[in-house]
Amino acid sequence: MFMNSNLFEPGKSKAEKNFVQQAVKQNHRLDGRRSNECRDVQLTFGADWGTVAVTLGETKVLAQVSSDIGVPTTARANEGKLQLNVNIGGVAFLDEAQSTHDQRFLTLNSLLERTFRSSRCLDLESLCVAAEQHVWCVRVDINVLNHDGNLYDASTIATLAALMHYRRPDVTFAEDELRIYTEKEREFQPLLFLHYPVSVTYCIYKSSSQPIVDPSLLEENAADSVIVLSFNSYKELCTLNAGGSAPTNVRTIMQCARNAATRSKALVDFIRKALVLDEEQRSKGSGQVPGLVGLISEAAHKMSFHQLMKDELDKERATTEDSQMEVDEQPPEQAVVSVAQDDVKKEKPKQEKETPMDDSSWLPEESTPATVPAPKAGKTKQNRNKNKGNKKQHSKKPQNESDSEEETKPVI
Amino acid sequence: MNLPVKVAVAKDQLRRMHCEFNPLSRCDGSVMYSQGASVVISAVLGPVEVKSQNLSIDGSYLECNYRPKAGLPQVKERLREAAIKDILDLTVLSEAYPRSKMSIQVQELEDRGSMDACAVNSACLAMLIGGLPLKCSFAAVHCIIDEQGDYVLDPDHSETAHQRASFTFAFDSMEGNLLLIQTKGAFKIEQFNDIECLCRSASQEIFKFYRSQIAKFHGASQDIKANHESMETI
Repeated sequence: MFMNSNLFEPGKSKAEKNFVQQAVKQNHRLDGRRSNECRDVQLTFGADWGTVAVTLGETKVLAQVSSDIGVPTTARANEGKLQLNVNIGGVAFLDEAQSTHDQRFLTLNSLLERTFRSSRCLDLESLCVAAEQHVWCVRVDINVLNHDGNLYDASTIATLAALMHYRRPDVTFAEDELRIYTEKEREFQPLLFLHYPVSVTYCIYKSSSQPIVDPSLLEENAADSVIVLSFNSYKELCTLNAGGSAPTNVRTIMQCARNAATRSKALVDFIRKALVLDEEQRSKGSGQVPGLVGLISEAAHKMSFHQLMKDELDKERATTEDSQMEVDEQPPEQAVVSVAQDDVKKEKPKQEKETPMDDSSWLPEESTPATVPAPKAGKTKQNRNKNKGNKKQHSKKPQNESDSEEETKPVI
Repeated sequence: MNLPVKVAVAKDQLRRMHCEFNPLSRCDGSVMYSQGASVVISAVLGPVEVKSQNLSIDGSYLECNYRPKAGLPQVKERLREAAIKDILDLTVLSEAYPRSKMSIQVQELEDRGSMDACAVNSACLAMLIGGLPLKCSFAAVHCIIDEQGDYVLDPDHSETAHQRASFTFAFDSMEGNLLLIQTKGAFKIEQFNDIECLCRSASQEIFKFYRSQIAKFHGASQDIKANHESMETI
């Protein structure tokens, strides 16, 4: 009667999986988005420092930063601590089915740990008050309120925004006495960052070579593999999480990475803009801020990505209209290639000019080896060939070369 | 926007209430509820399958969790959780669904005073919107006696710092029976009686709010709503 442990998981049944696979094959998504289109992101800052609610489509995450004075570890005596706490039970009811709960919790937790702790995004040394005695322990509580796919991005955005929003009290340590000042005595201080990482999630299906970004829960559950890439605002890769059973082309991952880097940069810019707006509101409102009540009332306290980044989006759309066609949409590209097969040679010079620029923008270290220019020129050619070959699943002579070249790339 | 803070509201008035129904997609009913600047979100699920150790043949098992914004639930949160559970035990018609579980989760979003009352009220709205059977609806009101000996109804965070005593009352909607009393601090019995009367009258305002919000949610027009109010005796 009440066997509803599967009720909470759309996309787990065979029929739904088939449906999604078919839809992706035809380049359609249930919510009408294009494969490279993300849902809107909304930020709401709370009245306290370090409280942020993020809404990504229907996915809702609340992050809260708190800090206290603690003792450092002996290995890193002059560094503060950053602790990330994920809570996916509660109102999201994700703990009803225990097996998926554990898996979900572990992946989300490890992603956040790697994105924020292992990448050392906070300047932990600035959190040290007295070496080996007193350091700040910063704690982030991530409460998942609702899960409608892409918990990863929502959580990383929430964590980053909360950390950037947070102000810690000032503190002095003199004559073995620790003094923490209240907000009235001394102004609170923001945390210091080394870089700003945000993740972008892609889903890959066996039926299609086209990855889809920002999956909904249905798409995420039906996906053959999920790739999560964390990039910082300097477009440096912080975390790559690729799993699942779909055989994935290196080129696909590279394409995801390049798009993810741009998206991450836009997201960080968006968070910065939202923070500036919030700051304005605080200084204007004489200490009284609406806080999370903004989630309920229809007033425009929500800061949405589409709204704040409108100019950038328009600009980007205008400039990258052509290149996006080439990068993201496979079928038109293939059509162009097969029709213009004879013209490929003529096109090559243009391509060669274009790609090195592209590469340097998403992988700055690329330029270190001296051999790079030559393989790059080769690579673009191979890629074109390979794309053609992909469809027929024939491996041709040049493809072998390209494989070996491309395999060296991720290593760098 | 005029800020929903207590400073702007008289001492014997409740702060402005807001609510949004079903902001969450995974549960049977959910509500985001705010009283002044205090915000909570509640979600209900049920009746669903129950673990065999909690199974009861003459009524459904009631699970109630309260989660703070930061950190793990401590004694304070457990007490709040117990208060909500006590009220629900009295009001839920659990005989309707034996061998099943009803689960209610309350998540604190922002604590700006009167959190106990806020949590209870949001739980009631979530039960109503989730369609779980209740014998009656319920509403809780928080009140304090401040330094000067004045009564402050539904105080803000900043007002609770110097309080002599604090009270939380919960009433049912049918006969106005007391469902819960929580008191803290020293007070005289006359003051207790005064505050009970004050809270009782304030609870009517909350029931009115429930009614208008649910009517609005179900798309009832103004005249139908007015009709209902006149028909029901409270």
